[in-house]
Amino acid sequence: MGVVVRNLQKVVPLRRARLRKDVNTLRHILGIHKFDLGVVCVDNRRIQHINNIYRKKDEPTDVLSFPFHEGLRPGKMPCPLHRDELNLGDIFLGVEFVMRQCQEESTDLHEALTVVTAHGICHLLGYRHETEEEWSEMLQKESYILREYNRLTGQHLLPMMKPCHQERTLSHR
Amino acid sequence: MLKSVVRTVGAALRLPTASTSTTRALPLNCPTLCSANAATARTFTRSLWMMNGNGASGYRPKLFTTKVLNPSASCGCGAMHTEGDKAFGEFLFDEIKEEKKIQKSGTLPKISGGWELSMDGTEALLTKRVAGEKITVTFNVNNSILPNFAEEADQGEQKSGEEPEILSTPNFVVEVTKEAVKETLVIDCQFLQDELAHGEEEESDIFGIFEVSFQPEGDTEWKETSYTLTKDSLNDSLYDHMMDFLADRGVDNTFADELMELSTAIEHQQYIKFLEELKTFVKCN
Repeated sequence: MGVVVRNLQKVVPLRRARLRKDVNTLRHILGIHKFDLGVVCVDNRRIQHINNIYRKKDEPTDVLSFPFHEGLRPGKMPCPLHRDELNLGDIFLGVEFVMRQCQEESTDLHEALTVVTAHGICHLLGYRHETEEEWSEMLQKESYILREYNRLTGQHLLPMMKPCHQERTLSHR
Repeated sequence: MLKSVVRTVGAALRLPTASTSTTRALPLNCPTLCSANAATARTFTRSLWMMNGNGASGYRPKLFTTKVLNPSASCGCGAMHTEGDKAFGEFLFDEIKEEKKIQKSGTLPKISGGWELSMDGTEALLTKRVAGEKITVTFNVNNSILPNFAEEADQGEQKSGEEPEILSTPNFVVEVTKEAVKETLVIDCQFLQDELAHGEEEESDIFGIFEVSFQPEGDTEWKETSYTLTKDSLNDSLYDHMMDFLADRGVDNTFADELMELSTAIEHQQYIKFLEELKTFVKCN
């Protein structure tokens, strides 16, 4: 099945083919291309609703990850026993939220979505940023993914996570 | 309340599956129509006939009056006018009044992006020209009401005081013709019902592509021999490129949303027009 892309919003004009291509490149880098992955693009209203339900935070955000395999150790691949378990889970992209940030920072939407998706996939693979140790581990992984992405595509993307001594501004999971 | 039930029935009857199953189920479930009960039915008919007074001598209480069988009014058209017709006409008068009351606007909503609308009965045609291309979108409002509307009304799931919203979600066909090419790319699209039927928790797109083919330009007959890509044979990347192709030509989620609004308004307009024609037909004045 591969990547399931869903566009449930009408605020941001999205390029579905570009998004799929970028997600597939990230899957290739991480060696997770045999796993299914859902990427659902939503507006502020809907991601706020989901954020409120699952995290009790009544505000829009950039990304929410829903892993299929709970409790994975960061960096350890899931070991599926059945075909149905060849699934990493779903990432909800707050494309309206990301677009507003891009407008403020004059950056490209699809480049930003790649960075945000990489962060979301890390969460699906068990990475967290609750403690400084986790934070550092996740930053390392994200930096690796985007370094490889930049090497393959000639772009210059940076992780959305800041080094741990800087202010932590991530509001999602 | 009455209005919503009638509207429900109206919507259900316009759904081919609903009307067909009801019609077919009736003879099997109705014992008086089964041959095994023919003898009983015959005796029963005779008793009724006798009670009616026409077939018996002496005094009998009359069960039926002749009113039902014979016209109770005439208007010179020569057709039948019964008490039932009169009640039907009065009902339609009230129904039309109620429907007009809830009609959002007399004029149809516009679709943004430079689309021109033309109508032929229940079929709508949207056209626009962009940089050497002609893009048309056609849809028909017949059988376009979401089936779940009728179900919800039956089950009483809607909150009290709130009538279920009737949404028209027709299949629509996008045709793209390039001036220099004699062929038209035809893309068959459908609203994805799950999303609309079950609210916000579903995760399907608002609309999707179901078939793609090339057809000769103009109003010539549909060429069955043209290769047709179906939803199942469209791979994910090709599908995404087709969706981007449509979005570049103004057919995106916003368009689909506006088309739904337009189609709902047209369907309602056509429904009221039908009721008015029916009233005239029944009352004949």
